[in-house]
Formats: sequence, structure tokens, C-alpha cells
Amino acid sequence: MEEYTSGDDGNFNTDETSVLVKECIEGVIGGTDYNQNKVNLWTANIVEHSLTHLVKQGRPFKYIVNCTIMQKSGAGLHTANSCYWDTTTDGSCTVRWENRTMYCVVSVFAVSM
Amino acid sequence: MEEYHNGSEGSFSSEEAENVVKEGIESVLGGDDYSQTHVNKWTAGIVERCLTQLVKLGKPYKYIVTCSVMQKTGAGLHTANSCYWDTSMDGSCTVRWENRTMYCVVSVFAVSIA
Repeated sequence: MEEYTSGDDGNFNTDETSVLVKECIEGVIGGTDYNQNKVNLWTANIVEHSLTHLVKQGRPFKYIVNCTIMQKSGAGLHTANSCYWDTTTDGSCTVRWENRTMYCVVSVFAVSM
Repeated sequence: MEEYHNGSEGSFSSEEAENVVKEGIESVLGGDDYSQTHVNKWTAGIVERCLTQLVKLGKPYKYIVTCSVMQKTGAGLHTANSCYWDTSMDGSCTVRWENRTMYCVVSVFAVSIA
């Protein structure tokens, strides 16, 4: 069960969410270099902004937003997700972003109410 | 919204989930060194095993399990989660594990089925 970008599952719109999340990432860390002092603030801001925008859409979903930032140093990082839910209505979306000094991976899981 | 261990909220038992996860990680990674050729299989194995064991508990929850394995080279890794749900019924649990050559972080999110 490796990480994958799920297609449109019922009412969850993967593409729209993907665009929204990319904007949030760019808004917080676009143009910055990895900085140990700031990274905690960045991850917190990215999940907070993403969640706020998702909730504003007013859809009947519960959300889980997960953000990981890793310094580029040649180390290997592997991530997997597995979900036990209603595949017709629930869905997930993962966005990978990078710049010269760091990787950022954000996953959104939407569970219908 | 940094990663934190959620206390027992409503019906979700953080401790029970933590035990399930620890056992899942140990059974897949215990005693191994980081290996690029095996790590994909490990992360898949860990999430699958944890999910199967959680479902076996027979509780009225949907589950999301995430697992990250990172080689120990001195690089910085930071993770944050934020959840919009029913705080009285839903909950999460995060387990951090390490050995000499790698870190493993597994998060379980449980969303109650109304």
C-alpha cells in the first residue's frame, strides 16, 4: 500500500484539493531555504492553512492533513498510507513539492460524514 | 499544530492503538538495518499489518494509517498533522520508533462511523 494519489472518489475532488494544497505550500515556504529554527512553524502553518481552506469549501467531510518537511541531504525517506473507509465517498490526495534545499509532502484524507 | 500524542478521547483508545502499532513495527523492522531495496516493502507491510489488526478490534471506526521510514544520516525531518473532526469520538495516535540505522514514524487516525 504505497502512497498514491487517489482518483475522484464519490464527492471528494482530488484535483481541486491538490491545487489548494500547492498554493498553501507555496505561500508558506515558497522561496525559502531549509531552516531548522523555522521548520516547526512552517509545518504547523501549512497544515493550518490547508485545513482552513478545505473547511471553507463547506463540504460534509471530516479532514486529516499531514505535512512532512525533510532537508535534502541524500537520506532516503519512504512513506506509505493505508485507509479503511468507504471507497465510494472518502478519498485522499498527496502533493509532493521540493526546492533546492528541502522536500515537502502533504497528504489530505477526507472522510465523509 | 505539531504532532502530538492524543489522549483518550471518547471511545478511541490511544493506548490500544499504540500497542497494535508497536507490535506491527517490531514484527516488520525489528533487527533490520536500513535497506533501500527493502524499504518500500517494509512501509507497505507496516501499514497493512497495523490496519488489519485495528480492524480486528471490531470498533465502529474508519482508519487511516500512515508510516514514514527515514534513513539516519543527520538530515532534519519534521511532520505536522491537523484534523477537522468530532473531538469527542475521533482520535489519533502516533508512534515513533528507531534503531541504529533508521527512524520509523507511524500515525493512526480513527474517525467514528456515525
